[in-house]
Amino acid sequence: MMMGDPQKHRILMVSDFFYPNFGGVENHIYYLSQCLLKLGHKVVVATHSYGNRSGVRYMTGGLKVYYVPWRPFVMQNTLPTFYGLLPIIRIILIRERITVVHGHQAFSTFCHEALMHARTMGYKVVFTDHSLYGFSDVGSIHMNKVLQFTLADVSQAICVSHTSKENTVLRSGLPPEKVFVVPNAVDTSIFKPAVNRPSGPEIVIVVISRLVYRKGVDLLVEVIPEVCRLHPNVRFIIGGDGPKRVRLEEMREKHSLQDRVEMLGAVQHVQVRSVLISGHIFLNSSLTEAFCIAILEAASCGLLTVSTRVGGVPEVLPDEMIVLAEPDPGDMVHAIQKAISILPKIDPQVMHNRMRELYNWHDVAKRTEIVYDRALKCSNQNLLERLSRYLFCGAWAGKLFCLVMIVGFLLWQLLELWQPEDDIEEVSDFSLPHNCDEDMLEENPVK
Amino acid sequence: MDPGLANNSSSPRPRWRKVAYGGMQPGYDDNHTDESFLEGMVMNASVVKRDMLKVMLDSVSISEYLCIVALVVLVWTCTLTSTIDENSLLLIDVSLLVSGFLILLFTQEMLSLSLLLHYVLNISFFITVLYVLAPIYQTLTRSISSDSIWAVAASLLVLHLFLHDYSESTVKAPGVLKNPALTSCISVNASVVASVFMASRLPSRLHVFAIMLFSLQVFLFAPLVTYCIKKYSFRMHLCFSLSLMVMTLSFVYMLHRLLFVVLLSLLVFVNVVCPYWLIRIQEYKFEINGPWDEAKLCFDITD
Repeated sequence: MMMGDPQKHRILMVSDFFYPNFGGVENHIYYLSQCLLKLGHKVVVATHSYGNRSGVRYMTGGLKVYYVPWRPFVMQNTLPTFYGLLPIIRIILIRERITVVHGHQAFSTFCHEALMHARTMGYKVVFTDHSLYGFSDVGSIHMNKVLQFTLADVSQAICVSHTSKENTVLRSGLPPEKVFVVPNAVDTSIFKPAVNRPSGPEIVIVVISRLVYRKGVDLLVEVIPEVCRLHPNVRFIIGGDGPKRVRLEEMREKHSLQDRVEMLGAVQHVQVRSVLISGHIFLNSSLTEAFCIAILEAASCGLLTVSTRVGGVPEVLPDEMIVLAEPDPGDMVHAIQKAISILPKIDPQVMHNRMRELYNWHDVAKRTEIVYDRALKCSNQNLLERLSRYLFCGAWAGKLFCLVMIVGFLLWQLLELWQPEDDIEEVSDFSLPHNCDEDMLEENPVK
Repeated sequence: MDPGLANNSSSPRPRWRKVAYGGMQPGYDDNHTDESFLEGMVMNASVVKRDMLKVMLDSVSISEYLCIVALVVLVWTCTLTSTIDENSLLLIDVSLLVSGFLILLFTQEMLSLSLLLHYVLNISFFITVLYVLAPIYQTLTRSISSDSIWAVAASLLVLHLFLHDYSESTVKAPGVLKNPALTSCISVNASVVASVFMASRLPSRLHVFAIMLFSLQVFLFAPLVTYCIKKYSFRMHLCFSLSLMVMTLSFVYMLHRLLFVVLLSLLVFVNVVCPYWLIRIQEYKFEINGPWDEAKLCFDITD
């Protein structure tokens, strides 16, 4: 495993989103950390507490997780207090002898605060943006200002797709060469195609997503009856729950499709594969998507994907593995018909093998490692140089940002006096015996 | 390996592709920025080139409504100073009602006899209830000093003008499905409350009834009437508005010089300065669209 890389990093991952919560970001942090651990780096995760899960926990492969006792207040986000996290973040950084702080997700307040304090204390900071934002509504404008504040001073940034990179560069004003594109990946050892593919004349189209507006449920409501009318041998399986579920159920009643549209409700992540392999085509109707891991999981299970052409989706799969359509019911029906016509040529096993070549978490970790190397090469800057960067963020916002940073700096100095760095005990490292969970992550088959 | 990659590897440096799959592209760093970067960005796509004259003509409906409200306030002050007695007020009410009806009748083709009957029934019910409630309105704010009433009424009227929906009318013509926005509902309510406060300062029940009927007629139905006129013929709308403005200005001039100057400058501000301003600030418009935007659905969602 040790490839003779001289530099071993000590990385702190910070985000509001981590297990036991479930989603794309949580998955990304977990798999990335596991692969970085395998590369010989030390990885620590910091997140807020979930229910009674608070304190320090160890996960597979010796991944250490700090559940900071800090209550989330809305959508798993902590209350923005600006300086509330400074003491504990400082102690974690010193105790674990961290070298790089890596924050995830633009709307995680925990991440923004931690990155701010890490910069105040002179650490190198990397930020990964997992989502896309527009520029028109009030919420986006506010978010973009917050992002500009955090990104004004990061060492390097990572985006999950090229579209996301364009978006991040525009939102934050970072120079494009500081923004890296490192996509998500999929654990192909979990998402394997079925041994016996469901045969017969019936074609099953699977939809798995949260049933909310942004995932394009309203498009599904228009598309499903039309497809069912055109193809009597098509059946739909819809997994997921959300406020728009009622709309789908209404549609099912109205067109009397109860026997052809099956609604599963919320699907646990461990059951996703078993739902996927019962179908032939995966349908994604999102209205906006930075990357879309669901498509990867479906393709890895050997399903042909039909998706809307939004955000970073066109970059995710080669053209022969996906049928793209404009987010418009007519075009989507057309795309589904095209997918049905090319379905006989698709071999799930071939598609799965192809996915193993295209996506791999180890590859993601290696590429992230390069970003860390670059971040460490960035020159150290004193407070004054950094303040001038914040000042450029806007006429009023710039001055406000500077004020926030100066107060943060003073508080840090106060903490240094109150609890000097030398008084904080450092944690001794330990390494797990290497063979204990070798099967946990699949090794790269093409060596 | 990927056949595409294998083919490319024969040339010294394969072309960079805007894709996320297949790992790091050989020969390019992950922070490689192609000339295709931000290719999909569209700036100021939905910006409309505005014409000064057109904006000025459009702003006439705002000054028209300003004048209507000014006229209502004028009638209020005249009633309070007893320049107009209750009988002439009732006469004004009736004539307004009839003329409003006639305008609706002429501008809207869809009015039938049964609908007219429906209207008449509703309005007579409305008037009866108002008459019954007049004594309550009269004594409603007796314990509050007049000064506070004026202050509240004035601020409510400002709120009303600020939130008023100038593009269409809050009270809909029959058969219109769209619900009015929250702000225009607040606006209508503010005007009604202002009228009630105002009416509670009057000496007799008949006064209260007459002034309430007058204010409610104007605040609820004047936007509908002017909207119908505007839809029927824009020229008629302009003539009507201009005559209304001249009438209001001359009445205000008779009442108070300073108020006349204020109203005149307000009208100039709305009709000349604001359109010019709007056209000037167009050059600061900076709107960005691109592939990262949330897709808009091209059909209506009926929940």
